[in-house]
Amino acid sequence: MSHKSSIIWLQGLTCNGNSHSFLNYAHMPSFAASFEMLYHPLWCGAEDFMSLLNSDVTFDFLILEGALSHDERLIQRFNLPFYEILDTLAVRAKHIICAGSCASFGGVFRLRNPEKITGALFSGKEKGGYWLEKNNVINISGCPIHPRWLVETLLALHNGEKVLLDEFLRPKEVFSYLAHHGCLRNEYFEWKVDSKQLGEREGCLFYEHGCLGPMSHANCNKILWNDVSSKTRAGSPCLGCTEFDFPRRALYETQKNMSLPQTPFGISKRAYYTLAGVAKSFKIERLEKKLIDEDN
Amino acid sequence: MKITKEIIQRIEGEATLELEWEEEQVRFAKIKFFNYRGIEEILKKRPLLDALALTPRVCGICSHSHAIASVLAIEDCFKSAGESLHVNQKAKDIREIALNAEKIHNHIKWYFFTILPELKRVSDPKYSGNAFKEKQWFQAQSAIMDSLKMGAHFTGQWPHGSFVMAGGVTCDPLRSDLVSAHGCLDAVIAFCEEHFYGMSLEEFLSFDSALQVMSAPSALSYGIDEMLKHGFDRLGRSFDRFLALGESFMYEGSLKSTKTTVLGADVKYVHESLDHTFFADKNNGYTYSKSAMYKKSYYEVGPLARLMVAKEPLMRDFHRRFKDAALTRVVARAVECAHLLWRTKALLNSVDLKEASLIPPKKEIHSLSGEGMGVIEAPRGTLIHHVVVHQGIIESYDIITPTVWNLGNGDKQNPSTAQKALIGLNSFTKADFVLKSFDVCSVCTTQ
Repeated sequence: MSHKSSIIWLQGLTCNGNSHSFLNYAHMPSFAASFEMLYHPLWCGAEDFMSLLNSDVTFDFLILEGALSHDERLIQRFNLPFYEILDTLAVRAKHIICAGSCASFGGVFRLRNPEKITGALFSGKEKGGYWLEKNNVINISGCPIHPRWLVETLLALHNGEKVLLDEFLRPKEVFSYLAHHGCLRNEYFEWKVDSKQLGEREGCLFYEHGCLGPMSHANCNKILWNDVSSKTRAGSPCLGCTEFDFPRRALYETQKNMSLPQTPFGISKRAYYTLAGVAKSFKIERLEKKLIDEDN
Repeated sequence: MKITKEIIQRIEGEATLELEWEEEQVRFAKIKFFNYRGIEEILKKRPLLDALALTPRVCGICSHSHAIASVLAIEDCFKSAGESLHVNQKAKDIREIALNAEKIHNHIKWYFFTILPELKRVSDPKYSGNAFKEKQWFQAQSAIMDSLKMGAHFTGQWPHGSFVMAGGVTCDPLRSDLVSAHGCLDAVIAFCEEHFYGMSLEEFLSFDSALQVMSAPSALSYGIDEMLKHGFDRLGRSFDRFLALGESFMYEGSLKSTKTTVLGADVKYVHESLDHTFFADKNNGYTYSKSAMYKKSYYEVGPLARLMVAKEPLMRDFHRRFKDAALTRVVARAVECAHLLWRTKALLNSVDLKEASLIPPKKEIHSLSGEGMGVIEAPRGTLIHHVVVHQGIIESYDIITPTVWNLGNGDKQNPSTAQKALIGLNSFTKADFVLKSFDVCSVCTTQ
């Protein structure tokens, strides 16, 4: 039997959503064949946590879930200030994986006190979070993470492969894609056909309903959630939950400047507005109709 | 008098249980929750619809429940401002399917990932758990995934799906989505029949006697045997008072019961107490958990409460034998899961796809002022969202979660439901299990 990599899963300020999303991993026996969970707050008593903490055992992965803080009034675990636990474990971990936007950037809970509640290496988009610097941290942002993002990153590292990272330390294989890629409403986006109202299969949610798909890095619409769907496939706008500024304000409204929406990621205003103007000048009859015509 | 403090592990979040002992018996218990996150504060001054995106982040295990409570509160705001929204039956059915998927998954997860290993731990403190190891754990994990996948056909994703909006739901599923969802549900039913109940769902649902449940070898009958062995058929009893304020297919309206007498209830009698919290007293408080009461009394909420007010025959028989003991509470989740599977199958067959998914409000949301309340039955019990909005901006948002009902902190004269259940126990191990019989979610509690 090949060597198993060991994992300790630690929670800061969290809703547990990343733990529960991880449990949706479709090939869990295969995960268990390569990894040993030394500790997970919800399911494992494999090792008594305190004896693990007080030992000098080194381990392969420290997975962090939730926003972090040095302030013991904001987080404690096991009747200890959280920083004592995190600092003790962090030096003994080969890799530190931030599971979710809270551990990566501070996320939702950072909003309560952005000075004191942060991600591991970032506070929003600013460098310098719980730590100023650390060279073994990978961010897997998302609220929550997709189980495949986490497990496939762990497996790559377990197999000794190099994981390419973007400027926010996110694996490029996942975060070079945009949530827009693979969206079923792409054609409506191309021809600038708005969704008249929510609850319908037709129309793009980018123009009026706040969809952040074209500027949010994630392969949601490539690999799908729970194997079958995604926010946009369920008719809801992408909330941009993988980005450093999640959650933005007014998530169901498109922020406009002179009645123009923000441009998609990496597309210049000139290019986008020129093309959008041309596309909008045509009325494509097929796209104005219902997707499934029930009359004939 | 001796006082012990123990961390309660392997629950949603973390809690500290402080027990006062006298003559080897628990005299009083304090249940402490830390790690407050402040979602109610974060929502203040944000646009109203942001609540639909942010309140699911209260809790990773009941995010759909929060989304639904939130949309009901928003729809109620429209009503208070003079516009009663019509929500089509289709949208109501889809909301219920989503909620049921979450409840079904929760009950299976809790029974196989918490109750079974915790029972083994009561016998053998060195037992290291079943997670990522035992075959049955993997089978249960697969059933949990199927349940959530069933729901994701409508909600886009779990956890933290977005699928509700004032006036309906955002998804517009096809016939083929229903067929696929049905396939997922059938896989969950097959797991439950083979492993959970040891018999067909139909047979299990026809029972009205505890003895019938014990007749087939199954994870459930094994758990009941273990609980009987350790005396949990007598331990963990509380006030025998139940409350279910949210709607359910199993009963009409909002109800409460004292023992087996069921009466109508009204959410207007709900009262929130900040006693013993850090919010009320920074120095002498000891928890971030508020307490919820009904007419100044503590009530138990959750699956047992729902089945008791619904006069469900099988649970009534368990209750007749064991009252509201830890065993009864545990079995209630298994029994409710069976009803939910059956109900969801019927919903998948009956949902009318021809109706509109959503009828948008006429009133502009930016000019909406008023207040609204959303009340639902979440996996662990009654969940209440209350919002005050002014010109489309949230003035205040108040959330009462199920755990706040069950695991509040009263005092010696008026203990909360869980405190009452703990008083008189003679070991920490038993106290730990009795506390867990409430399906503790400290995450929800310290939102």
